Parts: sequence; C-alpha cells; structure tokens
Amino acid sequence: MPPGLTQFYFLFLQGKKLVTNKVTQLRDTLNLLSCSPAQFVGSIRTLKTTTWFEEHLTEDNQQYMRKTAAEEYRRQTAEKLNPLKDEPWQRHEWAEGSRRVGLVAVKLGMAPIWTKTGERHVVTMLQVQDCHVLKSVSKEEFDGHTAALIVGGKNISPFYRSEKEMEMFRNAGVPPKQKVTTFKVTDNALIKPGTPLYAAHFRPGQFVDVTAKSIGKGFQGVMKRWGFKGQPASHGQTKTHRRPGASGPGGDPAKVFKGKKMPGMMGNIYITAYGLKIWRVNTKYNVLYVNGSVPGHRNCLVKVRDTVLPTRSSTLLNPPFPTYFTEEEGDLDEDLYDDNLFIHTEPSLTLS
Amino acid sequence: MALPRLTRSLTGLLLETSSVIHHRAFSVSVVTAAIQKMTRVRVVDNSSLGNTPYHRPPRVIHVYTKNGVGKVGDKVLLAIKGQKKKALIVGHKMPGDRMNPRFDSNNVVLIEDNGNPTGTRIKVPIPTHLRKMEGDYSKVLAIASSFV
Amino acid sequence: MAACTKGLDRFGLSLRFLRTQQLQHERFLSTSLSRLSPVDTTEPPKFTPPPRPVIIDKTQDAASQRRFLSPEFIPPRQRTEPLKFAIERIDMIRRRKVLNIPEFYVGSILAVTMADPNASGKINRFVGICIQRGGKGLGATFVLRNIIDNQGVEICYELYSPRIQKIEVLKLEKRLDDNLMYLRDALPEYSTVDPDMKPVPLPTTGEVPVNKTKVKMRPKPWSKRWERPKFKIQGILFDLCLTPRRMEHAQKWAQPWLEYDMLKEYDTTKLEEEILSEVEREMSK
Repeated sequence: MPPGLTQFYFLFLQGKKLVTNKVTQLRDTLNLLSCSPAQFVGSIRTLKTTTWFEEHLTEDNQQYMRKTAAEEYRRQTAEKLNPLKDEPWQRHEWAEGSRRVGLVAVKLGMAPIWTKTGERHVVTMLQVQDCHVLKSVSKEEFDGHTAALIVGGKNISPFYRSEKEMEMFRNAGVPPKQKVTTFKVTDNALIKPGTPLYAAHFRPGQFVDVTAKSIGKGFQGVMKRWGFKGQPASHGQTKTHRRPGASGPGGDPAKVFKGKKMPGMMGNIYITAYGLKIWRVNTKYNVLYVNGSVPGHRNCLVKVRDTVLPTRSSTLLNPPFPTYFTEEEGDLDEDLYDDNLFIHTEPSLTLS
Repeated sequence: MALPRLTRSLTGLLLETSSVIHHRAFSVSVVTAAIQKMTRVRVVDNSSLGNTPYHRPPRVIHVYTKNGVGKVGDKVLLAIKGQKKKALIVGHKMPGDRMNPRFDSNNVVLIEDNGNPTGTRIKVPIPTHLRKMEGDYSKVLAIASSFV
Repeated sequence: MAACTKGLDRFGLSLRFLRTQQLQHERFLSTSLSRLSPVDTTEPPKFTPPPRPVIIDKTQDAASQRRFLSPEFIPPRQRTEPLKFAIERIDMIRRRKVLNIPEFYVGSILAVTMADPNASGKINRFVGICIQRGGKGLGATFVLRNIIDNQGVEICYELYSPRIQKIEVLKLEKRLDDNLMYLRDALPEYSTVDPDMKPVPLPTTGEVPVNKTKVKMRPKPWSKRWERPKFKIQGILFDLCLTPRRMEHAQKWAQPWLEYDMLKEYDTTKLEEEILSEVEREMSK
C-alpha cells in the first residue's frame, strides 16, 4: 500500500472511533476529513462519526482497497498453512485430564443418515470455514487457574471493524473474523497464534458440545416463552386467554420473587447442546456431521468443543492433540465415517 | 366400521341410478392422534362379537398407555354390543414412521385378558413391525394370514 | 370409343405434365394415381400407396433419449449455501450407483422390495400406485397405495434408505395431477393394483403416456375438500358428485391473484440444466 494512502486509511479509521470531546482533536480530524456538520453541535458528549470507509474515497481507491484486502487475506491464509515451519511451539503429549481447543463452524443445514441396522437419524452439517487461533492467553493472564486460547471463525471484510478489534488480528497475521471465542484449555494444549484449525480436529465416534445463539423470537408472551397453559377460550373468560394468571403467593411474601417467569425477549441467547455424536467428518470441505439438532439458524456461527459430560469423554479415542496439523498427519481419507454408519457406496442392507 | 361402509357402498350404487347426492349422517374430522377414547374402530378378525351387526359401532373407551393415545401394538378397551372387551390395535389411519404401512381404517383385533385372540382368522394385512413390539403377540400373529 | 379417346387425351396430357414434374422434383412422394401407373389403354390398376417409412433408431433406446431429472435434486428456495446441496448430491449419486432408482412419476405403478427384520424371509415386497413424491435431497420420499383384501394400505418409502433393495417400475405413466391423495376418497377400483402384475413395456415413442382417467368419488364427506381451487385437481369427475351450485360455492375460496404473484415465482430451468448435466456426468463415471 503506498504510504500516503496507509496514513489516510489509519487516520480515517481513527476518526471512526468514539472520540471524546476534545476540541483540538476534533479540529484535527476536521482538517483532514470532511465530517458531517452534525458532529460538533454539543459540547460535552461523545460522538460517533457516521462515515463509512468508502464515503470519501474515489472509485479507483475503493476498488484498490478491496483488491488489496482480498490479496492480503489470501496471502495470510496461504502462509499460515504451515505453522510448524517457522518457530513452532512445543507440542505436548495428551495427558489425563487435559483439555484441548475447539473450533468455530458455520451451520449449513440438516440431512438424514442411516446406521448399518437400518435406523434413521438426523445430522446437522457444520462447516469449519477459516478457523484460526488468534491469541493464546497463559494461565496467569487469564484468570489464574486455566489458560485460554482465543479462536476466530469466518473471514469478513476489514473495513467495518474498528482499530482496536483489528489489532488482535494483525498480531496473529490473519484476516478479521466474524466470531471470536475463547476456549479454556490446559497448559499443554496451547497453540501458536495464526494456526489454522481444520475439521479433522474431531474424529467420528467422538462426542461434542455445540454452543450457538438460538433463533431470536423477539418479545414473546408467557405461553410461548415459558409454556404456560393460559386460560380457556370460552366459558365466560373476559379478555384473558394467554395471560400468566397469578404471579405468586399472597400476602405473606407480599412481593413477586426474582426470576418470575414473565413475558420478555425470547431467543437470541447462547444455548449449548451437550453430548452430540460426530458421525462423519469430510476433510475435503471441512464438514462435521453432528447428531441431532443444533441451536441457531442456518449459516450461523457455532462453537464446537469436546464434551464436558463424563460418560461421553473422548478418552477412548486418540484425538489429535493439541490439534490436527495437515503436514504431519496429512493423507487422511476424504471422508471419515463412524463404524455404525451406513456408507452410500456399500450395497443395500440385508438384515438377518 | 362395517355399517357405514355398507351404507356408503349402497349409496355408491344409488349414485349410478339417481343423481341424488348423499352425505353421511356423521361428520369426519382430520386424523390427529391415532386411537383415543371414543374412536370408532373396525374389528378385523372373524369373531362373532366383532362381526354381528349392532345399532352402534364399536368404540374405544380406554387406552392402556401412559398418554391416552394408542398406536399399533397397544391394548384398548372396547364397548361392543353393550359389553366391554379388550382389543389390540393392528393398524390406524394416522401416518407413522416411514417404511411402515398406514391403513385406511382403524383396525383392531379382539383379545382376551391373557392375550389370546377371540377370533380364529384375520383376513386383513397386519404390519410386520408388530413382531418387534414388546408384549406377547405371537398368538395374534399366528392367526394372521397376510403381512404388509 | 370417342369418350374413351377424349379421356385418354386428357389423361395423356396430364401424364406428361406430371412426368415432367416428377423429373423436376424427384423426392416428392405422392399417392397420385396417374403418376405412377404406366400409360395404359385400359383402366389403371388400383394403386395402394407404400406405407410411410417409420424410422426406428435402434442405436439409442427411447428411454435413454429422454433426459429426466428426479425432482428431489432440485434444491428448494432457501437461504442455505449451495455447498450443502452439492455435498448431499454427491451422496445421492453414490447411492444411485449402487441401487438403480428408475424414472417414475406420480401415477406410475411400482414394486418395492425392502429388507425387513420382522418379516419372514427378511424381505418385504409391496406393489402400489405412486400417489405422492415429497422431500428434497437425501430425505426424498414417495407414497405407494394399494388395496389388499379390501383394506387400503399406503406405505411412505424413503428413496435413499439402505433398506430398499429394489425398485421396479411396472407401469410408467403420468396422471393429470401431481398429487393423487384424492384416491383415498375415490372408489376402491382406482387404487387396486394386482400384486403379481407383469411389467408393462413402454410404447415405442419415447414420451411418457398421460393417463387422462377422471376418477369417480365416494359420497361426501371426503378427507379434504378436493373441489376447492387450491388443490387444482384435474383428475376427478366432479359432475357426478357435485351440483353446479356446489362447484360455484367452492370457487369462493379461489385466490386468483396468486397466479400473478411475482414473489412466488421460482424459475428452476437453469438450475435444472446444470444439475442434470452434473448428475449425468457423475453417473456415467
């Protein structure tokens, strides 16, 4: 990027941040950019600029910005495909009680699946798109007990993210991500930032927990939100068919307890589905086939990690620890199947 | 369901001759839960109790399940000809699992308390997944002539 | 004799004229009497024209010339990624390479053999008329209906289930509707299919025959009000079971504006072309 443009770009981004009322700063930004007049009305209030990255750029510059960003993405993802080459971190062996990292995936949709005995189950397909480790936080920095790894999901455009957010991505050398989550991890499973994570990190037969934001239903009444029975439709009910009814005991507490189930915003909260079996892993497209349903709408980002349930822990399998590296364990089949799964290339079942 | 069928077939014949449009004397609603209390059922074995005509069709008065819904393989109590009789459901109108048959009438086989069927033959086809159900249905399956 | 000669002269003239025409247009076939008969003083013999040449292309079977895309390949109009449909299509093609799923329509008569752990001999064969094809992708289903021992039976089969061992089309034909659920309320003769039916071969012209029978119904009430315009049923003989007054009353539920609703348009022709070529390519590998 030519130096003048870089300056311009970063100053511009600075201008987009929340600027506290310092008149000098305002004048500086005003000199460099042509902000909208509504900004310097009040005296003591924080103000946000309402420009977007391309408002003050010419057509050519906009296209140039877009092209350079895309090229940079591709370069970054291509380089970082070999994290073991330049200064890899120490790889530890799996020990009893160690937790490893999870992934961020995109929910594609659902499909049916059949076992070798002819039973039909449904699976959700989760695709791991551009999952990179962004930062590793050691035990002391995080909370004193466990270390953490910050992982990011799908790539998005850098133009609508603030400078502070972009800092972490720049340090890791990866394009900015849509979803950024932390995974609590044991010390021996820390990974160098910038490592890509693939779907082969999980193997068929393993159990996972999937966390995602459930579909938002907006402000909902008590019958839909909490499953109350409501009141009868007829027999003299006056304007009362879906109301909560009583809200608690009578004069003794003389109050409504905290946490009383009432109408309110439903959905759009993080929900975890525990103990979902992985039936199949497609290494070519990085797709995980996870049993049952998963919270969230289609194309939403979900957080996948090893199960917390004691009866389904993956001590029996040998999962790749700390994660799956293409260079070392490359040459996996395109599709990894669970033992009980019926593969469509086999002949039809003859049950006996 | 013998009587309504009779009337329907008769009216079908009538239709050929006259153009009078006939309607049933009772209303039929959409199939919701499979078999519950007050459903009219069709007895499909050749027992005398199930086949002699009566002015009221046999109805279910109790379903022996945790919820009051009866599917294939559940026992029910029928009211036939003014007396109570247990029966086994062998087919219903409600669609169930894929690959399992769905019948056009709610079929039932009369049964004693110990599980022995009252009749000696079942002409109507019986679903095969009855074999896998828990409960001793071997005697009922033995008198069945065809399976679907 | 004079009359004869007069006739002959005219005949001769016309012959010469036609002969010149014939010389000019060699390929022009005609059944004209005068052309082909030789010049005779007597009456020309009765001429029977040669039969029209029927070109039977023995190199290609009629069925293979017809390109058919099974409806479950066409993705529904949703916000899902096309990658999901592509991955499902790969699995569907893998299954189709093992089990031959023939081309069939609603109204065709099929025989399905299924592996059944509860049946004697572990195999269950069911013959019936297809009344509905539903679902997309791997979960596509079709419903077969038949009447056995005066009892109507319907089974909903999953096309890609591994329990299905063979699907045979005994009679390939289309009907006037895409959904024959009204057969439940029709007279039983229209849903009866002989279980030991022999496969009926297709006619030599490659097109699928359309069975234009209109079905006679049982007396009302029916399971659904089939006369209402939302079902768009062409295959019922309404004249026998409904008065014109009732038909007009049913038109009250007509929604004629739906036909012009542009947001409901889903044009799948381009998608179908691409998917059809992809499927044919993969199947031939």
